[in-house]
Amino acid sequence: MRFRIYRYDPESIGKPRMQDYEIEFDPQGKKVLDALIALKDGLDESLTFRRSCREGVCGSDGVNVNGRNVLACVTPLEGLKQPIEIRPLPRLPVIRDLIVDMAQFYQHYRAVKPYLINLEPEPESERLQSPEERAELDGLWECILCGCCTTSCPSFWWNPERFLGPAALLQGYRFIADSRDQASGERLDFLEDPYRLFRCHGIMNCVEVCPKGLNPTQAIGKIKTLLVKRAL
Amino acid sequence: MRQVGGAHRGLDLWLVQRVSAVYMALFLPVFWFCRAGTGYTGWHALFLGLPMKAAAALFVAALLLHAWIGLREILIDYVHPLAWRLPLYFLFALAYAGCLVWAVDILWKVQ
Ligand code: SF4
Ligand code: SF4
Ligand code: FES
Repeated sequence: MRFRIYRYDPESIGKPRMQDYEIEFDPQGKKVLDALIALKDGLDESLTFRRSCREGVCGSDGVNVNGRNVLACVTPLEGLKQPIEIRPLPRLPVIRDLIVDMAQFYQHYRAVKPYLINLEPEPESERLQSPEERAELDGLWECILCGCCTTSCPSFWWNPERFLGPAALLQGYRFIADSRDQASGERLDFLEDPYRLFRCHGIMNCVEVCPKGLNPTQAIGKIKTLLVKRAL
Repeated sequence: MRQVGGAHRGLDLWLVQRVSAVYMALFLPVFWFCRAGTGYTGWHALFLGLPMKAAAALFVAALLLHAWIGLREILIDYVHPLAWRLPLYFLFALAYAGCLVWAVDILWKVQ
């Protein structure tokens, strides 16, 4: 199988470059991550990438394969056009090879206060929700913060410091939608901003790439609806 | 709890853009339906009444507002230096305002 992989070594003075690899590898039933590991083991131990769970749970191996942001560990090799081109996630600073600096991404995540805010005294056992209230959180809580969506969003490319991006907005809505949270007013206040929220133009790249099948555009739409309801 | 709020802007313009789109979507089929003949007399008769004048002027206003807000979005996306962006906002606002005055003038000239 043939691969073209983005290489960058911060310790050398060289520019980033694309390196070609060829390796005997049976793609049947295998994922992109398997090939990366085989390359590292067999051909080039300097090749660097992140991975942990290797089953689509931890969100650490988001990469761009043939132009599309994916999790390497759940992307089948079969059917990919060769040479398979693997690059780091777009628009984030590259630390080394396929490893990007996610600081900006997490900063936006932290900004939406991704935790329950409830100042009432804690109950004996737990805060109860009806099954319907709980169902509101489906399609929101599953996010593994892989960054595939945010780094595929053109609005994030143009304004990465100021637009929160689909992942953070999805999580913002996850807590607005939570019946146990008491800070939805403040959360909406924070989001009502031409940059933080309104840079989203509904391009839907985020929906297209999310490996968990989530729909940030819909969550963003719901935030806008709440803002409108509140204003009228 | 101290909260850092957003700029509290963006929502109004976003809403105006949606509302103007709805108005345009409603006006166009009605206009299509109302236009009687194709010749000069047909058009003349159509624009003689005040309601049609007003509705058409409102349509032009909606169109220009819609366009200006869209343009503002594009400028925020791509033109980051304020020294460029602000003059561009005003330049286009001025040009579009001019278009509106012109359109109203044309409409009200139909006697
Ligand atoms: S919404 Fe999907 S693509 Fe975005 S960070 Fe969460 S899991 Fe990844
Ligand atoms: S829908 Fe919004 S957040 Fe998603 S990719 Fe498009 S602009 Fe970005
Ligand atoms: S290695 Fe954990 S999601 Fe791919």
